[in-house]
Amino acid sequence: MASAAKRLEAVSDTATPQIAFDGVTLALGGKTIIENLSLGVRPGEFLCIVGASGCGKTTALRLAAGLYQPTGGRVNFDGQPMREPRREIAIVFQDYGKALLPWRTAAGNVSLALEAGGMPTAERPARIEELLRTVGLPGHAGKYPSEMSGGMQQRLQIARCLAQEPKTLLMDEPFGALDAMTRQGLQDEVLSLVAASGATVIFVTHDLDEAIYLGDRVIGLLPHPGRIGIELSVNLPRPRDQLSTREHPEFLRLRRQLFDFIKATEQ
Amino acid sequence: MNRTALIWRVASFAVAAGFIALWQLIANLKLVSPVFLPGPDRAWAALMRGFSSGDLWSKLAGTLEHMAYGWLAASIAGIAIGAIIGSSRTMRTYVAPSLEFLRPLPVSAIIPVAIAMLGLTQAMALFVIAFGAIWPIMLATIHGFAAVEPRLYEVARSLQMSRLAVIFKIALPSASPDILAGMRLSLTVALILSVVCEILAGLDGLGHWVLLSARAFRSADLFAGVILLGVTGYVTSVAMSLAEHRLLAWQASQR
Amino acid sequence: MTGNSAKALALPLAVLVAFEVWARAIHLQSDSLAPPSAIVMALFGAFADFSILTATRDTLFSAFTGLAIGTLIGLAFGIAFGISDTLNRLMEVTVEAIRPIPSIALLPIALIALGFGYRMEIVIVAFACVWPILILSRAAVRSIEPRLMEVARALRLPPAQRVWKIIIPAALPRIFVAFRLSAGIALIVAVTVEIAINPLGLGAGIMLAQQALRPDLMLAYLVWIGIIGYALNILLTVAQRRLFGRAALSGDSP
Repeated sequence: MASAAKRLEAVSDTATPQIAFDGVTLALGGKTIIENLSLGVRPGEFLCIVGASGCGKTTALRLAAGLYQPTGGRVNFDGQPMREPRREIAIVFQDYGKALLPWRTAAGNVSLALEAGGMPTAERPARIEELLRTVGLPGHAGKYPSEMSGGMQQRLQIARCLAQEPKTLLMDEPFGALDAMTRQGLQDEVLSLVAASGATVIFVTHDLDEAIYLGDRVIGLLPHPGRIGIELSVNLPRPRDQLSTREHPEFLRLRRQLFDFIKATEQ
Repeated sequence: MNRTALIWRVASFAVAAGFIALWQLIANLKLVSPVFLPGPDRAWAALMRGFSSGDLWSKLAGTLEHMAYGWLAASIAGIAIGAIIGSSRTMRTYVAPSLEFLRPLPVSAIIPVAIAMLGLTQAMALFVIAFGAIWPIMLATIHGFAAVEPRLYEVARSLQMSRLAVIFKIALPSASPDILAGMRLSLTVALILSVVCEILAGLDGLGHWVLLSARAFRSADLFAGVILLGVTGYVTSVAMSLAEHRLLAWQASQR
Repeated sequence: MTGNSAKALALPLAVLVAFEVWARAIHLQSDSLAPPSAIVMALFGAFADFSILTATRDTLFSAFTGLAIGTLIGLAFGIAFGISDTLNRLMEVTVEAIRPIPSIALLPIALIALGFGYRMEIVIVAFACVWPILILSRAAVRSIEPRLMEVARALRLPPAQRVWKIIIPAALPRIFVAFRLSAGIALIVAVTVEIAINPLGLGAGIMLAQQALRPDLMLAYLVWIGIIGYALNILLTVAQRRLFGRAALSGDSP
């Protein structure tokens, strides 16, 4: 509860944004994918981005990660321009099967981030065990990714990202390929992990309910080229709950508003 | 191994023993001149004689040495060059097609050139063996490096891993199934070229031994040498399979 | 695509030009190297006196005859082992005992039994070609859709017709892949035997050029052997694509 309170305080804080898009344009191969996007994400905020497929939401995320450089405008992190990916920004890819090292066990995959962070060998095992426990994978340290279910693999990828001790967590439709039950469980876990770590999150999804359920703020992008079409503040109480939150009148109102927006973009 | 598999295995050995008995019969009845075809008894005796006198041991050691040095040199150079070419798009467009063009070249055709440069020497043999064995390894490494999942490179970038760390922690392990398959092919090539070089340059080894035995019409010794070469091919390939199996254990459940 | 092939040609052309310039600049005198222009001249010379054509004919004759014999033997055993699991299991030890013998190790045996000439070379080439054909055709027959075999049984086709009308056509694309691999092996083994010992064909030609201290001619032979290897590979790849479509290439190992 204490962390939730701290979190609310952080969100309401009007300090400099942790990630700031300033008139960002990205053109790839003569095609403008994102045009003049301006956006600030406050420290500790949970921002969700939704939009029809092809609206550039994944591209926006990759810009925030530093994997792409904008062709126009600027992306800033903590007031500094982003020139390349940095370790305090972790990215959870949708295709967890491709983003894990198949030749390393669960422990080895988490270890990769610790190695990159320069943690001494002796300290790694304890930290790895702790991280695997945090994401609900205790006792699976010796398994290879190919021996794990999709949900477990995505948990493992989240563990590796947490090992980076990120200030910002970028998530690209992380639960898109999972079944509904697994997805709801992971949503709640991500919420509590984020609350505990105080990390800033940008979460891309095409699931509108998921966006409202998780976010402090939801942004809807318009396609061709990608730009902001709608921006909603989500003033639902935390901690959130799969049943009561989804039945909350505010939830239903926001849901209606977002659905109308998406429907309009598709015509 | 379960019972039925064991029974089949025994039956299969029995069939092989039957063929050896047939070979003995043919030799005993002199259906083929004993000058060309010794019976298995004489071949076995020659093998034992060769081992007890130490002759065959030293020839075997010679062949293994040529093979191992050439193969190891080819592996190190092949992986290094393959990694350099495979990890750069520019190198792949400019260099890889030339390599693909050279691939179907019968590598033994390089032997006369090597002889002209280095003479009938040990160095010539090692050069030829390494040159022949490098192709499968190098091409497999290029392919393996080019086929690394791009997502993994992004993971490496977001972890700000050094170039060296990316090669050793991401690219090499990812390419390892291809590289090991190339190394296995090269092992066969190395054995064949060892034998050819020994025959041509008279270097100490089983190739030279079988040629001398043939020239002197000592067919039992000749067969002993050929059998030993077969065993060498078998043992090295089994050893390679075991190594592959261990190193690629992570692939087992993926297949 | 043209841009890429231009880039592909850039390196070999640069190397050739640099080598030519270097060889002329230092007035290269060597037993092992010759400038590209001299190599081309030597190649023309060898064409003009038909020596390289005769050698090519000899090598290809041995390689293809050996390939044909090896293919027939390998195919017969491969299909038999593929159809009959019993036979396959009984022969397993025998096959695994003979297969690892390096083909070139048979050279001395073939030499004393058959003497120099085409026959010993053909035998060695055939031995080398049997194995890939046997292994791959066995696998091809095993992977035939079981429904097809049921059709054959339902039609009450006699065994010979079953092989001829169902099994061979169904397994043909993969058998052709094996044939293509074996064709490459046949050429390599033929040249190797000639270089090692047999006084005929391209392998003997290149050895003679070396012993005559004619590096230009030696390298001309090398280039020509390379061209033949490359052409054979291209020819069979194109044939495979024409006959069986792109799908057949998926059976390739890298």
